Amino acid sequence: MSVRERGHAVPVRWRLLDAVERVAAAVWPPAVRGLTGWLLLLPALLLVGLLAVGLLWVAEYSLHELDPATYMLREDYSLANYGTVFGQRVYIDIVLRSAAAAAIVTAVTLILAFPYAYVMVRTARPWVRKALLVSLFLPFFIGQVVRAYGWLILLGKQGLINQALAALGLEPMNLLFNYNAVLLGLVQYMLPFAVLMLAPALTAIPEEVEQASESLGATWVQTFLHVVIPMAKPGLVGAAVVVFTLTITDFAMPEILGGGTIDFIANAIYDGFFQIANAGLGSALAVVLVAIGTTLVGLIFAGLGAGTLSFVSRRG
Amino acid sequence: MRGPRSKAVVLWAITWLNLVCLGLPTVIVLAASFTAGDIVTFPPEGFSLRWYERLLTRTDFLDAFLRSLWVAVICTALAVPVGTLAAIAMVRYRIRFLAGIQLYLLLPFTIPLIVSGLGLMLIFGEVRVLGSLWPVGVAACVINLPFMIWAVSASVNALDPDLELAAASCGAPPLQTFLTVTLPAVLPGVISGALLMFILAFNEFIVSLLLVDARIVTLPVTIYNSIRSVITPDLAAVSVVYIVVAVVAIWLLDRLVSLDVFLKSK
Repeated sequence: MSVRERGHAVPVRWRLLDAVERVAAAVWPPAVRGLTGWLLLLPALLLVGLLAVGLLWVAEYSLHELDPATYMLREDYSLANYGTVFGQRVYIDIVLRSAAAAAIVTAVTLILAFPYAYVMVRTARPWVRKALLVSLFLPFFIGQVVRAYGWLILLGKQGLINQALAALGLEPMNLLFNYNAVLLGLVQYMLPFAVLMLAPALTAIPEEVEQASESLGATWVQTFLHVVIPMAKPGLVGAAVVVFTLTITDFAMPEILGGGTIDFIANAIYDGFFQIANAGLGSALAVVLVAIGTTLVGLIFAGLGAGTLSFVSRRG
Repeated sequence: MRGPRSKAVVLWAITWLNLVCLGLPTVIVLAASFTAGDIVTFPPEGFSLRWYERLLTRTDFLDAFLRSLWVAVICTALAVPVGTLAAIAMVRYRIRFLAGIQLYLLLPFTIPLIVSGLGLMLIFGEVRVLGSLWPVGVAACVINLPFMIWAVSASVNALDPDLELAAASCGAPPLQTFLTVTLPAVLPGVISGALLMFILAFNEFIVSLLLVDARIVTLPVTIYNSIRSVITPDLAAVSVVYIVVAVVAIWLLDRLVSLDVFLKSK
C-alpha cells in the first residue's frame, strides 16, 4: 500500500515539522541565514556579558576611596585604594602568600596527578580504569565545603588523628588552621581537575612511541622524561593553568582550613566588602587579582595557544 | 600498562597516595555520620542512625537542600539550550573573530569566582532581584557555562558534517536537519554537560554566599555556617546527602555516556 493510496495519512509529526519549518523560514528568512551562527551564540554572549559588566562595575568601585566620616565611597576618582593595596605590608603579604601557595599546589598536584592519569589511561584492565575514574569523580562532585569538613574532622584539635595520638600517649599536634592544612585541602581539591586535563593528552600519545623508545635502550624513567612528558605538554600546560588560577583565587579552603589566619586574596576581598565595609578597597584587590590571573593566562595562551582549553578542535 | 616491575611499583605507589588523599574526606564524613556519640570520636562510639533521624527534624537543612536543588534545576535548564547552541555555532558555523569569541566565553574561568560573585551581586542588587533564588541559579549557570560548551563541542567536533549535508541533500530543510540529525548526535555531550552543570550548581559555594541572605541560604552555605559554630555529627549526615547525590550523578553519567569519554583525546 503506497502513501498515495492511504490518502491524507501523512504522519502528524511531518505536518508539524513542516509548519514549524515555515514559521522558522518566515521569522528567519534565508536572506539572514548568514547570521545564524551569531543568533545561536547570542544567549551565551549575553549571559557571559553579565560577568563583563560586573567586572567593569567592580573596577569602577575600586577608583573610589572610602570616606571615613560617612562610611560611603567618595564621588571623585582616585587611585588611593591601589596605594593602600601596594603600600601596606599586610596586603602584599596576602598576595605573595596566595601566589606562593598556587605555585606549590600546582607543582605538587601535577606531580601527583601525572602518574594517576598515566596509570588510568594505560591500564589494560577496564575495571581498574573505571575504579580510578569513579575515585576521581566522587570528590569532584562532592564540593569544597563538604571536603573541607572531612579534613576538619580528621585534623582538628579533637580530630581523629589527635585522638589516635592521645590514645597512644602522644602529644596532640596542631594540624589545622595552618598553611600546610590549606595546601593539603587545595591539592585534594585540584587533583581531579588536573587528572581530567592530563588524561586526554596522554591518550593522544600512541603506546608504540614508548615501546620504540624502550626498544632503543631507554629505561622507563628516561622514556618518561624525554618522550611522554614532552608529548603530554599541552595537557600539562592546561592543567597547570587551571590549577594555578583556581588556587590563587580560592576562598573556601583558606577560609575553612586556615581558620582566618591564612587569608588568600579572595578572603581579603570578601573581608574588604563585608568585614571592614570598604567596597572600594575590596574592589581594588579584586582588580589586582584579575590582573594577575589574566596576565598569566594571556602569556601562556600567547606562547602556547589555548591548547586543551579551546572549544573548537582543528577542523578537517 | 607495560614495562618493568619498578615502573609499576612507583606509579602505583603514587596512584595509591592519590586515592587515599582523594577518598579520605569522603570516608571520614561517611563514618562520622553513623557514630552513636555526640561528638566525632576515634574509634567511633558504636553505630547508629540517630543523626539521620535528627536530620529529618532540622527544617533549616531540609529547606536549604530544596533551595539548592532548585538552584541546580534553574542553572541546568538555562545552561542546556544556551551552551548547546553556542557550541554548535562555534564548531559548525563560520564565525568571524572566533578566537576572540572563545576567549570571551572563557571569561567565567579567567575571572575569579569571588570577583564574578561580587560583580553579579552589584548587578542583581541594582535591578533589585537580590533576595530571590533564581538569580543564584543564573549565576551558577554563568560561572560554569564553559563546562557545558566544552561537553557539547566535544560531541559536535565528533559529528561528521557530511551527515548533515546528506540530510539536506535528501530534502530536509535546515530546522529538520538540526532536529533530526544534529541534535541527536550531540545528545551525549548535552547529557554529560547537563549533569555536570547540575552538580556544580548544587555544590556552588562562594557565589551563593555572596548572593543569598539569611532567608534563602543554600545547602553549602548552611553547612559552612554550621562548621563555623560547632561541629556535630548531624553535619556529617547532611554531607552524606552530597555523597549520595554524587554517586547517583556518576552512575547516571556512566550509564548514559560512559565515564571513558573523559579520557578521549580531542
